[in-house]
Order: sequence, then structure tokens, then C-alpha cells
Amino acid sequence: MKMSRRNLMQMMGAAAFAGPLASASRAFAARETELNILCWEGYNSAQVLDPFRSGHSATVKAESLTNDPTMINRLRAGETKLWDLINVNNPWARKVMAPAGLIKPLPRAEFEPFFDTMLPNFKAPYRWAMSEDGKDLLGMAQRFGPYSFVVDTDKISKATAEEQGWNLFNDPSLAGKYGIQESDDWNVFNIFLVAGINPFKTHDEAEMKAFSETAAKVFKGAKMVGDMASLNQALVSGEIDLYMTGGTYSVSPARADGYPNLRAITPLKGPIDGKGGISWIEITSTVNNPALSPLATEFLKYVQAPEIAHTVAFAEGTFNPVSQMGNPKCFELFTAEQLEAIQWDTLEEDMARSAEYDIVPDYDKALELMTAAKRLRG
Amino acid sequence: MSAITSSATSSAQATGERAAGPAIPVGLRAASPVILLLVLGFLAPLVTVAAYAFATPKSFDVFRSFTLANFAAIVEPSNTVWTSFVWSLCFALATTVLLAIIAYPIAYGLNRMFGKWAGLVSVLFVFPLFVSENVRLYGWVLFFIKNGVMDGALKWLGFSGGPEVLYTPGATLFGMLYVYLPFMLFPMSLGLAMVPRDLVDAARDLGAGRLMIWREIELPLAMPGILIGMLLTFVLGAGAIAESKILGGQSVITIAQDIEIAFTYAQNWPLGSALALLLVVIVSGLALFMLSKLDLDRILGRR
Repeated sequence: MKMSRRNLMQMMGAAAFAGPLASASRAFAARETELNILCWEGYNSAQVLDPFRSGHSATVKAESLTNDPTMINRLRAGETKLWDLINVNNPWARKVMAPAGLIKPLPRAEFEPFFDTMLPNFKAPYRWAMSEDGKDLLGMAQRFGPYSFVVDTDKISKATAEEQGWNLFNDPSLAGKYGIQESDDWNVFNIFLVAGINPFKTHDEAEMKAFSETAAKVFKGAKMVGDMASLNQALVSGEIDLYMTGGTYSVSPARADGYPNLRAITPLKGPIDGKGGISWIEITSTVNNPALSPLATEFLKYVQAPEIAHTVAFAEGTFNPVSQMGNPKCFELFTAEQLEAIQWDTLEEDMARSAEYDIVPDYDKALELMTAAKRLRG
Repeated sequence: MSAITSSATSSAQATGERAAGPAIPVGLRAASPVILLLVLGFLAPLVTVAAYAFATPKSFDVFRSFTLANFAAIVEPSNTVWTSFVWSLCFALATTVLLAIIAYPIAYGLNRMFGKWAGLVSVLFVFPLFVSENVRLYGWVLFFIKNGVMDGALKWLGFSGGPEVLYTPGATLFGMLYVYLPFMLFPMSLGLAMVPRDLVDAARDLGAGRLMIWREIELPLAMPGILIGMLLTFVLGAGAIAESKILGGQSVITIAQDIEIAFTYAQNWPLGSALALLLVVIVSGLALFMLSKLDLDRILGRR
């Protein structure tokens, strides 16, 4: 075909229009070789996805976000047509996504046996993987960890930090020496805990007032608010001595980099039925996509394999324990340094002292008060 | 292109002969793919944001509901979001004014002084644009942080250490000056390149002093470039977020961050859209007001 400027332009025009349409029609037709994952960082890494891509000759797209509300919002806004898997923290599947029809149950007979080889806490029927009525299996558990605050144990000992707990952030002598991670949903929990209030219940006016005052004080006293990389950097450099919202998820990369003095701390006690720490467990569910890719359930099985579970635990960016460590074949893949990075030595007691991530009934109001408190920093 | 035009014209004539209805001008028809692309890619998202601003709070009822509740929530006396607007606009204004002062001598140098080095100097200014803004800002964090490049170097030289500059509004402003410098510099140096050398020489021959030449000849003739630079910097600065987050440690909350919070943690797209729409209105309003006051015709020498 002879190329002229004119037909080149025509072809370009045709391509511009046909391109998006072609990919849209692909999305409806050949879902057998396509998988879209909405997840926390880690599952989107090439180490995890590449073996699956080549094993299934599949096109796998994964988008990572770093907060649950945004991901759930995306499904609510109509993106259930786009995604096949969603990976969020524990309460969302059974308390929000399943009742709202955003996710589909998994075949129990096929998936429940996987829970038997997991760590003891995850035996079937595992509460967070089940629907409220206990009938449906809504997702699979993998990464988890305690998530309260992180200290530089050269400055504040582990014993003192655990004993003092959230009161550290009430200590005027530590003002200007701590940072706050910009994960506002977790910060809402933490401000309640610093105020000595259980976050996971409906709060009266007096409690909200205490929350608001505590938020203003804690944010005013913070040296910085930032992402976890900035906070770890500030800890290493000595800009700050501790930061809140932090745990194995946030500090493990720094520990693996040779800073074992930085440590995730779980308070000994606190206002959530005596517990002061909070932990998270990710649940990965199949999205209620009208044309759900058959690869979605395949992927959920694929990440259960010991080698892949180990890769998920040590995917780039953040290192975490995984429920599959209950399987000796998986556990033996972890080196001593890796176990040290994820604080395996105290993991069980830290999890026991932590309440599991839950939904704050009056979160909107609390977030509003906290956002206003943040503005008082300037 | 002539082939396209002539064939389009002949087909238009043919259509005109066949149909008696109003003919669509050839230019419009030729431009229709571009218009369609702009409508879909540029206007549609803006319209959606605008429509969301009038949707029921905390819902996705876009185009299905109409309420002013989002704006009412913003202007409620107890809502302190106005401080974020003030911070953003002040930062943008300070950045624009400071950059105009900083970039002018550099632009002047690029045009008049650096001679054969001008190309290299401009490449040096463009080079950072190839690296992600966040990466560059993290680089500055490593420079300013305790025991970082500056602090460490000063200690090595025997001083007690560097000043504490990170995580302050000053650090945010520094970051903005650094990031937006090229956006001021290039339009400005293009503007200065428009000043004919002969005119300056003639003015000097006629006895004008340096200040007079600058005020009466260089500045007015370079003004279009300067204004475009200032406008770009101001508009970009008003929407800045990374600088206050990375260098400023969120010591102040900018309006872009409030919009981000509304869209993410607060799950309130209508509120975020209302804030965004308000920002667009304020920024474009201010920009148009400034431009109207500056009398473009006189500046552009059309009068």
C-alpha cells in the first residue's frame, strides 16, 4: 500500500477511534486471558505477577492503592465491570462489600481446605473471610500484621513503649519528636486510642470533643506528617524518635535494610476491651464483575502455594507475615533475616494484644474533626 | 494538505448542490475529529467534576441529583477549609513573585550574556523536568534532613550542624520555587528574546539610562512572556501538593490536599468536586482579573 500523507492521517484518525473501542470489546470478549487486580502494594509487583502471567499466558493488570476507602469507592463508582479481584483489610468484605453486592462468594468446598494449612488463628471458618450470616466464603486471607506505632528503640526502649502505649503521644516532652503517617483512616483509630477511647463503637458528644482536642494536640505536636518511606527516613536520620500508625508493614523495609533498632510496638493494654493495639488482615475477594475473569479464582489458588506466598510476604516495598506460614513448607523458605525483619519473635503476642481492624461507625464525623485539627498545624 | 482541502471543498460543493439545508463549514468538518477528541478528553472530565459538585454529598448520584449542599458545607462558618485556600493562594502568589525576581536575571543572561553557553545553561534548567517531581523532592529531603548532605557537610567543616528547615512552610515554598522555576524561566526568556537589540541600542544612543531602557523598552516588550510565565506559575502553584507533603511534612494543608482527602479517605467525591470547582473559579477569576488590569493591548504594543 502506498503511503501518502493523506492516508496516513486517515489511518491515524481511524486508529484513534478504533483503539479504545477495540480494547473495550476485548474486555467483554476474551476475559479468559485477562485479570485485573485492585490491591495494596505488593500484589502488583512483578515478582508475584510474572510467574502467573507466563504460566497462564495472561495479561494481568494490578493497580495498587494505599487505603481501603478509595478502593471500595472505585467499585461503588461503577468499576465492578473493570476489576476481578479486590484486596482490602478485613472488615470491608463482610461488613460493606458483600452487603452492597460488590463482591461474589467463593466456592467453599474448593477454597476452605486452604485455611487448614494456615496459621492457627485462620482455621476455617475464619470470621473475616465469611459473610455475616456465616454461610458464604467471601475471600482469602494472606498478609497480616500488627499496626500501632513504631519507635527507635535506641531512644525509647521496647519495654517503655509497650508499657506507656498510646500515652507516649500525650507526653509533652515528646512533642516535636514524633511523626504521623498520612493514613487518615488509621489515624482516626489512633487519635481515639490516644484519648483513651475505643474507636470501634458509636461515640457520644463528650467523646467526640475529647477526640477533637486530642487530634489538635497530637497534630500540633507532630514534627512531620508523611508517607512511610519519609517516616522511616526521618527515624533513621534522627529527625524523629517514633511515629504513629506504623507496624511491621511500614517498618519492615527499614529493618531489612539494617536498622533492627526500629521496631513496631504493640501497647500492653488499651481501651478496646483491654487491648491497645490494632492489627489488620487482608482479605482478597472476587469482584461482582458481570464478566468475571476465570483467572480470578486461579490467582487466589496460585498465591496459596508456599513459594508464591513467600514471594508475596517479601514483595517489593513492604514485608509482611502471611497466613500460609502455618504450612511448614512455606515457613522454611523464610531466612532468619527475613523473620527478624517481620518481627516474627513477638508476632504472636503482638497479634494477641491487638484488636482486629474494624469499621468506626461515626468515621465521617471523626475524619472531619481530624482534618480540621490538621489545619491548626500551620 | 492541499489535496485534502481541495477534495473537501469539492465534496462540500457537491453536498451544497444536493442538499438545500445549512451546510457545515468545511473548516468545522475538517476540525471535527479534533473537536470530538477535545470534547471527550478535555471537556467531559471537567463537566463531570462540575456535575459531581452539585450531587448529593457522599453519593455517586452524578447527573441524577442537584443540590448546593456541598457548597453550603464549604462556606459553613465552622468549616476551616478556607485556611487551605488561603495557604495555597499565598504560596502560589509568593512563588510567582519570587520566581519573577529570580528568573528575570537568568532569562536575561540566557539571552544576552551566556553567548555560546546559553544552550547548555537552558539544558541544565530543563534537565530536572525529565525526572519525576517526587523523586526530585525526596532528593531535597536527603539534602536537608538531619545528618543529611547539608547537615553532614556543615558538621564535617566544624560547624554545629545545619539549621532545621525541613517540615516547615518555608521548606514548602522552597520546593515550589525549585519545581516551578522552569515554568517561569522559559516563557520569560522567550519574552526577552522578543526585545530587538536595535531598539535598545537606539535608546542608548538617544541618551536613555539603563533603568529607563529596562522600564520603557525591555520590560514592556518582554511582558507577554513574563505574564505567561507568571500565569503558568500561579495556576500550577495554586494546585501544588507534593511540595507541602514531602518537604513541608504537611506543616500546612494545601487545598489540593483537602481535595485529595475528600476523594480518598472521606469517600466524598461531591465535596471534593465542589472544592475543585471552587479552586478553578477562584484561580481563573484571579488570573483573568490580573490580566484585565494589566492592559494587554498596551503591553503587547498594539496601541
